[in-house]
Amino acid sequence: MTLHRLFPLRLRQTIAQVRLLHGSGCGHQLEEVAMEPELRKETSVFRTQVNDPACQSERHLGQYYTLPTSHLHTIFPHGLPARYQQQVKTFNEGCVMVRQPALELISYLKAADYSKPAVRYLLYGLKGSGKTMSLCHTIHYCSTQGWLVLHIPDAHLWVKNCKELLPSSYHTSRFDQPIEASNWLRNFRTTNERFLSKIKLRQRYTWTKRESTEKGSPLGELVDMGVSRVKSSSDVVGAVLKELRLQAAETEESEGFRLAVAIDGVNSLWGRTTIKKEDKSPVAPEELTLIHNLRKMIDNNWCGGAVIATLSQTGSLYSPSSAYLPKELLGEEGFDSMDPFIPVPVSNYSEKEFESCYLYYLDRHWLQHPHSESHSPQTCILVWSFLIPYFN
Amino acid sequence: MAQNACILSHRQNLHGDLHIPESLCWGLQSTTFSKMAASITGLLKPWTPRLFLVRWSRYNPYYLEPEPRKELYNMPETELTTEQKEERELKAVRPIKATTNSTTSSVFNDPVLSKFVNMMMRDGEKILARGILTQTLESLKRKQVEKYHKAPQGKKAEIECNPYAIFHQALENCMPVIGLASIQKGGKFYQVPVPLTDNRRRFLAMKWMITECRDNKNRRTLMYEKLSQELLAAYSKEGNVIKRKHELHKMAESNRAYAHYRWW
Repeated sequence: MTLHRLFPLRLRQTIAQVRLLHGSGCGHQLEEVAMEPELRKETSVFRTQVNDPACQSERHLGQYYTLPTSHLHTIFPHGLPARYQQQVKTFNEGCVMVRQPALELISYLKAADYSKPAVRYLLYGLKGSGKTMSLCHTIHYCSTQGWLVLHIPDAHLWVKNCKELLPSSYHTSRFDQPIEASNWLRNFRTTNERFLSKIKLRQRYTWTKRESTEKGSPLGELVDMGVSRVKSSSDVVGAVLKELRLQAAETEESEGFRLAVAIDGVNSLWGRTTIKKEDKSPVAPEELTLIHNLRKMIDNNWCGGAVIATLSQTGSLYSPSSAYLPKELLGEEGFDSMDPFIPVPVSNYSEKEFESCYLYYLDRHWLQHPHSESHSPQTCILVWSFLIPYFN
Repeated sequence: MAQNACILSHRQNLHGDLHIPESLCWGLQSTTFSKMAASITGLLKPWTPRLFLVRWSRYNPYYLEPEPRKELYNMPETELTTEQKEERELKAVRPIKATTNSTTSSVFNDPVLSKFVNMMMRDGEKILARGILTQTLESLKRKQVEKYHKAPQGKKAEIECNPYAIFHQALENCMPVIGLASIQKGGKFYQVPVPLTDNRRRFLAMKWMITECRDNKNRRTLMYEKLSQELLAAYSKEGNVIKRKHELHKMAESNRAYAHYRWW
C-alpha cells in the first residue's frame, strides 16, 4: 500500500480515525498526532505523459495528465468549475487527475452499441467529490474521439436569477430566456466549429414574417442567427437540439456523428425555479423553453449517442444540503424520466490520490510552508481537508 | 414608611462604601496587590484571589508566559543553552498564565498574524477577520506562483512564493525606525523625535496598513484584494504605507533640534 511509503504507523491510525469521524458525521477536527521524525520518502509518480483519454487505463489511476492549451480554450469555454479555472490560471497549465469514475464512464462509452437508443449515465456523490471534473474528463474523451458535444455547464443557472423573461413566440404558455440562450449558443459555436458547416438542416424554420432559415442550409447559419437575434435565441436552441437529435441516428458511413449530451446539475430540470412571472406567481420548469427542450434531449428515444449527467446539490433550489443520492435530488418526476440510467458513484480521494495531489502541489510550488522532518503540514492538510477533493 | 426607607437607603449611600462599579473594584484590588507584589517578587508564594476574572485581569508577575511551540519541548538536553536550562527549571516550579483561545501549538500558528487579525477585527467578528487574512494570503500566493510559472528560468529563483515570508518582510519594511512624541515645554507642545519600542513599531506598521486599505480603496474592491496589493507593494518598498513611514521619518529629521526635550 502506498500509505506505508509516506505515512508512518501513527499517521495511518490518524487516517483511520478520520474515516470513522467522517462516517459518523461528527464534523469535529482531529488534533494533530505528534509525529516522530521517521520517514522513508520514496519518489512516487504523479504525472503521466499519456494525454489522450482513450489510451488511459487503470495503470494511470491517481496520476495527472495535461490538457493541451488549445483544447482548454475550444472544448471548455464554459465547462470547468470556477476554482479549477483559477488553478489553471495560477499554474499556467491544466492538469486533470485520472480517477476511477471517469475511467469507468469512458470504458462504458467505448463498449456501448450506438445503433440502440441513447444510454443515460448519472454521476452522483458527496459535495466536492469531483463529479464536474469527472464529467469534464469524459467530455475531453468525447471531443478527442470526434463526437459532437452538447455541454450545458450548469443547468441550475437556467432556473434562477433570470434578468429577462420573455413570453415565447412559438408557444403562448411558455417563457423564453434570451440572455442565457445566446450565451450558450456562443459557447456551443466555439466548441463544435468543425460540425457547423457539415450538418445541414432538414426543415425550414420561420422566425418572423420576413426571416426564415431554409432547409439544407448549414447549422452554422442557424447558430449565428441565434447569437445575433437575441429575441429568438431560445427557439434557435430548441431547433438545434431537435436537428442534432434527428441526425445523430445516422450511421457512420454516411457522414454521421455521435452526440454527447453533457448536463451538469440535471436535478434542476425537475425541481422548482425561483423565477417569477409578472403577477408574482412562480414559473414551473416545464414553462421555460430551454428546460422543455432539454427534457426532450434526455428522453431515450434517439440513437447514436449518450447522455452524461451530473447531480449537484450546491446550486440547487429548495433541496436539503445533506442530500446527494439520485432519488433524493431528482425527485419522483425526475427519477421516472431518467429511469433507466447507469449510476456512477464518485467518492472522495483515496490515500494514493491524496498523495498524488500533494506531490503535484509540491511540484507546482503551491505548498509553501517549510517542511519539517516531522510531516506536520502534511498531517494537517490530510486531517483538515477530510480527503475531499474540493478542499485540496 | 416608604419615605423612611428612601432616607435610610440615601444615608447608607452617603455613609456606606462608595458605590464603585464592580470591574473597577477588581481592578483596584489587583493594581494595589501587584504593586506590593512587584516589590517583593522574590519572596512570593503563588497566590491568586479566590475569584479571578481572567479577561481584564493583570496576572501576578510571579506567573510565567506560556510557550506554545512544540519544537522547543522536543529539543534534547545537550542543545540547550544555560539560559534555556534555567528557564526550564523555573517552569517546573512557577505557575503559568493561561493562553488566549486563539493560540495553538500547530505549525501554522504565528503571533504576528494573530495580532494582525485582532487589529483587523470589528465588533468581535474574528471569523470574518481571519477569513479575510486567509484570502489575502491565498491571493498573495496565487499572484506570486503565477509570476513564477511565467518567468524565464533564470529569474525563477528571485520570486518569493511563500505568503508568510512576504507578509513578514512587508511589515518589516513598513515599520518606522523613529517616532514622534508630543512633549509640553514652556506652555507649547513640540513634536519630539523619540525611539520606539518593538511593539510600538509593529503596531504602527499594522495600523497604517489596515487604515490605508480601509480608506483608500474603490468601493467595489474587496479588502483582501486591496490588502494583497498593498502587501506586495510594501514588499518591494513602494506604495502608500511606505510613503507614510518616510513622511514620519522626514518629520522626525526636521524636528531634530528638539531632540534634547526628551528626558528618557
